[in-house]
Amino acid sequence: MPGKILVLAEHRAGKLKSISWEVIGFGQKLAEQLQQELKVVLIGKAIECLADEVSRKCGQKVLTIISDRCEAYTPEAHCQILSQVAQQESPFLFLMGHTYQAVDFAPKLATMLGRGFIPNCVDYQIEAGRLQFVRQVFNGKINLQVGLKGEPPYFVSLQQGAFNAYEVQSRQSPRVVNLTVPLPEEMLKRKVLEIVQAAQGKVDLSQAEIIVAGGRGLASKEKFQIILDLAHTLGAAVGASRPVTDGGWLPKEHQIGSSGQTVTPKLYIACGISGAIQHLVGMMNSSCIVAINKDPNAPIFSVADYGIVGDVFKVVPVLIELAKEIRK
Amino acid sequence: MRILACLKQVPEKDSRYKIDDTATGIREEDLVFETNESDVYALEEALRLKEKLGGEVVVLSLGEERVLKTIKSGLAMGADSALHLTDPAFRGSDAFVIATSIARAISDQNFDVIFTGVQSEDMAFAQTGTILAQLLGWSHATIVMEVNVSEDGKNARVKRELESNLFEVVEIPLPAVLTIQSGINQPRYATLKGIMQAKKKGIRTLSAQDLGLKNSQLGSMGSVVDHQKMFFPEKKKKTVILEGTPEEAARTLMERLHKERCFSRWPSAERNSLCLARFWF
Repeated sequence: MPGKILVLAEHRAGKLKSISWEVIGFGQKLAEQLQQELKVVLIGKAIECLADEVSRKCGQKVLTIISDRCEAYTPEAHCQILSQVAQQESPFLFLMGHTYQAVDFAPKLATMLGRGFIPNCVDYQIEAGRLQFVRQVFNGKINLQVGLKGEPPYFVSLQQGAFNAYEVQSRQSPRVVNLTVPLPEEMLKRKVLEIVQAAQGKVDLSQAEIIVAGGRGLASKEKFQIILDLAHTLGAAVGASRPVTDGGWLPKEHQIGSSGQTVTPKLYIACGISGAIQHLVGMMNSSCIVAINKDPNAPIFSVADYGIVGDVFKVVPVLIELAKEIRK
Repeated sequence: MRILACLKQVPEKDSRYKIDDTATGIREEDLVFETNESDVYALEEALRLKEKLGGEVVVLSLGEERVLKTIKSGLAMGADSALHLTDPAFRGSDAFVIATSIARAISDQNFDVIFTGVQSEDMAFAQTGTILAQLLGWSHATIVMEVNVSEDGKNARVKRELESNLFEVVEIPLPAVLTIQSGINQPRYATLKGIMQAKKKGIRTLSAQDLGLKNSQLGSMGSVVDHQKMFFPEKKKKTVILEGTPEEAARTLMERLHKERCFSRWPSAERNSLCLARFWF
């Protein structure tokens, strides 16, 4: 399979996002397996230094598209640029992280080019010379093997954390090449007005040694109280999965996962949390994970060290009593 | 304003699945279905926009007869009418085919805004709305947490969720497709009056033929990705499942955690007070 793999790297505030390093690392491995060339694509304004740094670190060619009109991300500019890159480079594969940006432009780009976009992949395989990806469906309870269809380029995004075993290697061909793509102002329909940091509040879960987190299984704001009680008894911090903060049972700053905080406590006790991938990426690197859930097939058990299949309202009160005994 | 809200029906969250004999789908016979969570938030946002600026909300769902439950619940929440796209040939379709079908169904309907959920909980494509916008030649914004449409109906100012507690505020021209993130609002419940009124509201049914779509454009044939097979994931970690009554399991757990020194340094209440300070309001 001769050809090229292009990794679209994302950056914020002059730094590459960690997911993009993951994608580059995996891209290098895949390029080696398929004997293809790898290039990293960077889009932005004033990214010369970043491009040099990325190129030196991975020793790969970096293709930059630098424009004042790319200071803030818009789907129109990204799609215009990447469709021209696709035309010029004739890549076999476009790889990117499954980010809030990829979700926004990749389906549009793939459709513009008459192609499909395989989102949020967690694994890959090469079967009889054919590349296939694996993605999670049905809330992480089933895996789906997806093949590439039609003509290249193929568009694939990778789930954060799923490919972090592939470390970035230092290859021998660092180089930065700039490409100019005209971006007429009238084409940019989306205007970015501001980027805001949500009130971080006073909750920094990243330093907590023990976190007790509750999810949808707690059923209501009133019933969520037992999570607070358990946390209090253990001297633990309180975390939550998305449904809890969506429902207003806890303030948003307690949310753990891709849109909330990423935590690595020594002990993470997940109560009534099914384990949507967006939650798992925020807590899966905790040293010890305990899951309490009535559904034995809940994906949370796939990352747990200890599991109790049962009713949180029966198990948690016992834990509270036992914790009180231990503390004495 | 003419507003469309797209609703997908998906299996209930706690469902236990069986993969079917073709290994490309799941067996539906024992499943209970509900409306996809972020789609309910999308419909609520559509209804609020109508209440603010006037107009009409149409709900659309694609699928077999069972999705009528989702359509009716949308009508009971306050939508004015519904479109039901149904055809055996839709089975196995990917996001591109679904978006193509929706684009065909609404091509002559002059909508100003289309709301969809950010992603479905079953296939999790997270792209039907964006592809739909591209097929219609409209603007779009994904993962939307706030919507403000200008009085003249020409623009929408929306807040998009980004990673790690960041948000961006962007302005896009209408017509546009907005994919709505859960948590943007608190969806209303249908009232008894709403449920009674829903019975009189019109549901228009459209088949693939009505949409001018051939079988080769639908299902797996028309799809742009190749769904080969489903399988149950292998566990990455060896989980020790603690058996017994809740009391026994809880006791074993505490013993194990204690032995593994998970509690070796009990954080003091003071040290964690920062984390606990705002836990209740």
